[in-house]
Amino acid sequence: MTDLSLAASGADPAIAGARAPHRRWLRRTALRLAVYGVPALLILVPLATFLVYSFWTTVDGRVVQSFTLANYVDFLAKPVYRGVFTGTLWLASIVATTSLIFGYIIAYLVWRLEGRLRYFLLLLSVIPLAMNYIVKIYAMRNILGYNGSLNWLLVHAGLIEAPSKLFIFNQTAVMITMAVIYLPYAILPIFLSLERVSPSLLAASADLGGRPGQTFRNVVLPLSLPGSIVGALFVMVLALGDYLTPQMVGGNQGFTFGRAIWSQFGMAFNWPFGAALAVVLLLSVVLIILVAAAISRHARVK
Amino acid sequence: MTAAERITITLLWAVGALVFVMLYGPAFMVVVLSFFDISRDGIDWGSFGFQWYARLGDNPQMLAALGNTLLVGACAVVLATALALGLAYYMKTGIRRGRPLLEFVIFLPFVLPAIITGISLLVAFRELGLERSLITVTIGHVVLILAIIYRMVMIRLESLEDSQIEASLDLGANGWQTFLHVVLPQLRSALVTSGLLAFTLSFDETLVTFFLVGGEPTLPIRLWAMMRVGFTPEVNALVSIVLLVTITLAVLGAMSLKETMARR
Repeated sequence: MTDLSLAASGADPAIAGARAPHRRWLRRTALRLAVYGVPALLILVPLATFLVYSFWTTVDGRVVQSFTLANYVDFLAKPVYRGVFTGTLWLASIVATTSLIFGYIIAYLVWRLEGRLRYFLLLLSVIPLAMNYIVKIYAMRNILGYNGSLNWLLVHAGLIEAPSKLFIFNQTAVMITMAVIYLPYAILPIFLSLERVSPSLLAASADLGGRPGQTFRNVVLPLSLPGSIVGALFVMVLALGDYLTPQMVGGNQGFTFGRAIWSQFGMAFNWPFGAALAVVLLLSVVLIILVAAAISRHARVK
Repeated sequence: MTAAERITITLLWAVGALVFVMLYGPAFMVVVLSFFDISRDGIDWGSFGFQWYARLGDNPQMLAALGNTLLVGACAVVLATALALGLAYYMKTGIRRGRPLLEFVIFLPFVLPAIITGISLLVAFRELGLERSLITVTIGHVVLILAIIYRMVMIRLESLEDSQIEASLDLGANGWQTFLHVVLPQLRSALVTSGLLAFTLSFDETLVTFFLVGGEPTLPIRLWAMMRVGFTPEVNALVSIVLLVTITLAVLGAMSLKETMARR
């Protein structure tokens, strides 16, 4: 057996000669280059190009490759863009908060269940992730629209006299649609943070005479909230970067920062300025991610 | 449970039921509409039937877009799987100091907003002189789904005993043979699961694709363009089929995910 393995391994130095170590070094370097090079080429190089782009300008619709801070100065100097930026931050926070509240309710209800029903409802709450995004926006527009199902329902219930235009082509419409589309993204992380609450703590609370309500307030909620907030922050990032939902249900009033960036790559055709706006978005997202990381680290230490 | 607690839980279930209605209502509506004729006056409730499913062929542009989406998804999954496998196997065999850095880079497109990934790739392709086409879309999808496949393969690889690889090498197999005959067969379920999830993701991808698509649209892009004029009933029919297929794929993916995790 030993003879066989030696012969098959081909590691016979007398035959391979002196060239082997050199060839092996070459192979290893090529491999390392491929392993680090391909992801860098696919991900880091484009990101770097995009950052560089934000420091260029356009003259007569053509990109001029000279370093300038003009795009950033433009962003800071124009109140319109600043207004859209803060408005979008506000919108994304509301979407994140609603997804935290409703996501927590769903995740908590599912978490309390046992057996098959639990798995089934968990599946039911993540399946909407696999539904086509455009179809969801389209359907939401039909529901919220002037002739939509929501108005029909409200009129028939006698709550309003005539169909209302309050639900479509404004910020409210964007908010409702985003809240519906992005809610499932929050449910799973919240459920997982509930799962991390140790059963022995629940048992201890019950042994010490805690009623279910007390156990929830004093044990479950404080332990699962940090992870849930991280999930909500993830939703906030998604809402911040979305540009199609506001475009399709927002109309003229529902202008968001994502749309502002997108329009620079479409009709306005000012890529460097669009890139600079996207860098501003990137910085806010990095900030949100850092906050989320700090929350999870803090929760783990406790 | 006190009465107050019982009432609270009941109320929560009521809210929960409402939320589920909100989550499924939109898709449900599209499916219902696909069975009826729609005129300017509204829905003709007497026209129930599969007539629009029979007339799917009337919209060749739509079917072409569906074909593009399937092609892009299949290519992206195959390419991303090959790349993820190579990367994960390399990181697993031997001490690799670059591993945290590499994983950070791979996960970037997953964490950053789609608009950032889309713009980066768009700008880079333009500087390279690469015209927008299905090829650029496929590259974009590879970038997006790489992280999922890498993660799932890595989870499985981590649970493998190192001694298996060592034994194979000791017995005279070279690195490639070890990978092919010892490691790869054990990765099968992880590959199927991550492939399914990645394909579902690619199938619906819109926000990155939008920046990379050329003259040949994928299905979501085509749907977006059609949305401005409103969906015609045969579009509703196609979308219903698509919803059914993607949901089935997602459920299969979730079920095999559960199995993969259980087997660890």
